[in-house]
Amino acid sequence: MAPMARVALFDPCYMSALRPQDAGFARHVLEALGDQVTMIDGRCCGQPAFNSGFRNEAHSVGRELLKAARPHQTVVVPSGSCTSMVRHYLPTLFEGRRASGAAAIAGRFADFASYVAGHPALQDVVFKLDGVVTYHDSCHARRELHASGAALQLLGRVEGLEVRPLLYEDECCGFGGTFAAKQPELSVAMMTAKLDDIALTGARVVVSADYSCLSHIESGARGIGVQLQGWTLAELLSRALS
Amino acid sequence: MKTYRERASREIRLERPSATVTPIMRKLVGDSQAMLSRGPADARQRASAARAYAIDNLEDLHVQLRGRFERRGIGYHRCATAEDAVAMVRSLLGDARRVAKSKTMVGEEIGLTHALRKDGIDVLETDIGEYIVDIEGRGPSHITAPALHLNRARIREMLARTGADLPDDDPTRLSRHVRDVVGDFFQDCDAGITGANAVVASSGRITIVENEGNVSLGVSHPKLHIVLTGIEKVVADEAGALAILEVLAPSATAQPLTSFSHFLADPLPGQQRHVVFVDNGRSRALRDPRYREVLKCVRCGACMNSCPVYRVAGGLSYGSPYMGPIGAVLAPLLWPDGRYADLPFASSLCGRCTEVCPVGIPLHRMLLDLRADAVKGHHAADLKERTAWKLWALSFGGATRARAATAFTRVGLRSFGRTLRPPGPHRDDPRLLPDPSIDHDPELLLKASARRSIIPESAITEALPASLPERFAHRARQLGVDVVDACVPREGDRLVRATAAIASTGSVLLTGDQAARRPLLAAGRVVVMVDPATVVAFPHGLAAHLGGGDALILTGASRTADVEKIIVRGIHGAEEMVVVLG
Repeated sequence: MAPMARVALFDPCYMSALRPQDAGFARHVLEALGDQVTMIDGRCCGQPAFNSGFRNEAHSVGRELLKAARPHQTVVVPSGSCTSMVRHYLPTLFEGRRASGAAAIAGRFADFASYVAGHPALQDVVFKLDGVVTYHDSCHARRELHASGAALQLLGRVEGLEVRPLLYEDECCGFGGTFAAKQPELSVAMMTAKLDDIALTGARVVVSADYSCLSHIESGARGIGVQLQGWTLAELLSRALS
Repeated sequence: MKTYRERASREIRLERPSATVTPIMRKLVGDSQAMLSRGPADARQRASAARAYAIDNLEDLHVQLRGRFERRGIGYHRCATAEDAVAMVRSLLGDARRVAKSKTMVGEEIGLTHALRKDGIDVLETDIGEYIVDIEGRGPSHITAPALHLNRARIREMLARTGADLPDDDPTRLSRHVRDVVGDFFQDCDAGITGANAVVASSGRITIVENEGNVSLGVSHPKLHIVLTGIEKVVADEAGALAILEVLAPSATAQPLTSFSHFLADPLPGQQRHVVFVDNGRSRALRDPRYREVLKCVRCGACMNSCPVYRVAGGLSYGSPYMGPIGAVLAPLLWPDGRYADLPFASSLCGRCTEVCPVGIPLHRMLLDLRADAVKGHHAADLKERTAWKLWALSFGGATRARAATAFTRVGLRSFGRTLRPPGPHRDDPRLLPDPSIDHDPELLLKASARRSIIPESAITEALPASLPERFAHRARQLGVDVVDACVPREGDRLVRATAAIASTGSVLLTGDQAARRPLLAAGRVVVMVDPATVVAFPHGLAAHLGGGDALILTGASRTADVEKIIVRGIHGAEEMVVVLG
């Protein structure tokens, strides 16, 4: 057994509102790997305001997250898009010495998939779950974090699980944060193309590193009347443990 | 239409561009990647470095270029604004009445065609796609494929408006009809206007790429040739220009190189040549460290080819001369008065544009900066939105408040999420608000139906011949070129000797007299003699062979793909090309 690691698990604001169960799934997986987990909640990385052009608001909100993260050496985030915001953009909202301080803390944030895939205790854990899923590669996990390999590697470790690839796996699902509300026509058209691609795989469960994409896909599927659920990687791995 | 959203929803509702555009782009983007992988591994870095050098040394390069142009007898003109540029072209045209115009995005940017026509000048758009969208009157929907949004039936309808009575909508027939109209116009015209893809400072040569041959006609037939381009298009040397060509056509159209790559030197006897450099806000963008890199753009269109928003709403939804991600960045920079301030919001920030850009422009990061500028400059976000973000920042300014706000949202969604649709005026929006109380059902894992999508097998690695001449022959044959050891001459042949050839693209390089465009275009068949010892591996290897004068790289016969991206060979110039290797 590898020595026990202390990590903080950040429960992103939108997940604690939309999918409160998920933090428990992520925690379950980290503890199975032998980590000692502390939760960070009630914070936001600032991305919604940042992407909408409201930098001051993003800065004041993101600063609170970095403050909460300061005592921790590793902060695991079960959302690719929040991780990307913290690592790549949040430090740019600070000036001078504060910017390097912010960058130092931001550098301790890791997305759940990359952290788990690189965990020294991973080989001691068995994941087993029968069934079929497809994998949605979220844009930020793919292009900003290059975490797709890690996520697919983890899915590949689950015994009994068949992962059916999408035909157009590099296409955006149309969520894009406030984009989904500000440009609903575009967002829905993109989502429809994604639902078509998912439907062609035959899978009823779509797995992704980002619940934001999944909530968008799920809300579209429910509206149309398609039986489809979006599971985060954390949920899938947690269920594969028991 | 006032806002991007209004224009985009109108396009989606009435025109459904996605039905035509998405399948074409899905294929094109895959083919582009395959084509880029044929080139040198460092092609993108090389092109990016050439463009970065150009914008870092722009004024020095312009000084050098001006001297070279003087020696060659090419007019050098630099215009600060769009109005100045139109006036300059107008005065250079003098009493020219019939003007043949090739595709130039700067021409669209400054509204040239419209302005010249208002002055009573007969301007013909000679690019097949531009000719078609000129009839439609809504402008181009893509920078390299102007008529991409129109399917063949619509194109036939457009052509019928000009009196063309075409029996069917076969792409070859449609393309050749426009070719004939354009060919007739060139018989008697006073001036040709073209764009440029690069202007070489060290030699004063102008690089233009094209597929149809209308540029070849425009630079060789009329007595006056005017080049219209942006000030940023200067590059240091031929190696820089070739580095750009190495990524340009693969990224734009998944071709190894375009059919014609011109390196124009001295004007022909009796011909005048002028280059008009347009600033129109570029210097301002260059001074802003956040945006200066956008001037590295080579206008390949890869960003729009891969953009999901572009695919869904089409290029016309942007309402600006430049569309797609590059348009959403460029338009607000060139016109900072706020009229395009909402274009940077026309993106889900998926980052695919940045990923595919062959010169490494961080497009999606620029969109983020432009959004912040728009909010700061009060060109975006109304009072309601501003207040909402202030309240949001307040509630997430402390953990207790944030937990309360989150719990409030959760409870609200639990009660109503299952049935409520998101607020907003979009009636066709099928989405329900998320419901946090729905538990996932693991049984669904076992309820999968059979897979209906066929995952394409990974492409079999091509077995390439070992020697450069054999590789050249292999690639040339893929372009429809007949490669032979000997060839019996025929009447109407144009026989030329190549200075060099390129193995990776199947191209031949013609220099000096051999590059003369008039006899090439008039020939029934082009026969090119290639010495196997002169074959180089990649386009950048040609730098040493280009000489000091006129040069032309031929890559297969002239062609167009302006109707539904279907290739039609033999537009202006011979359909048949023979290479005698030996």
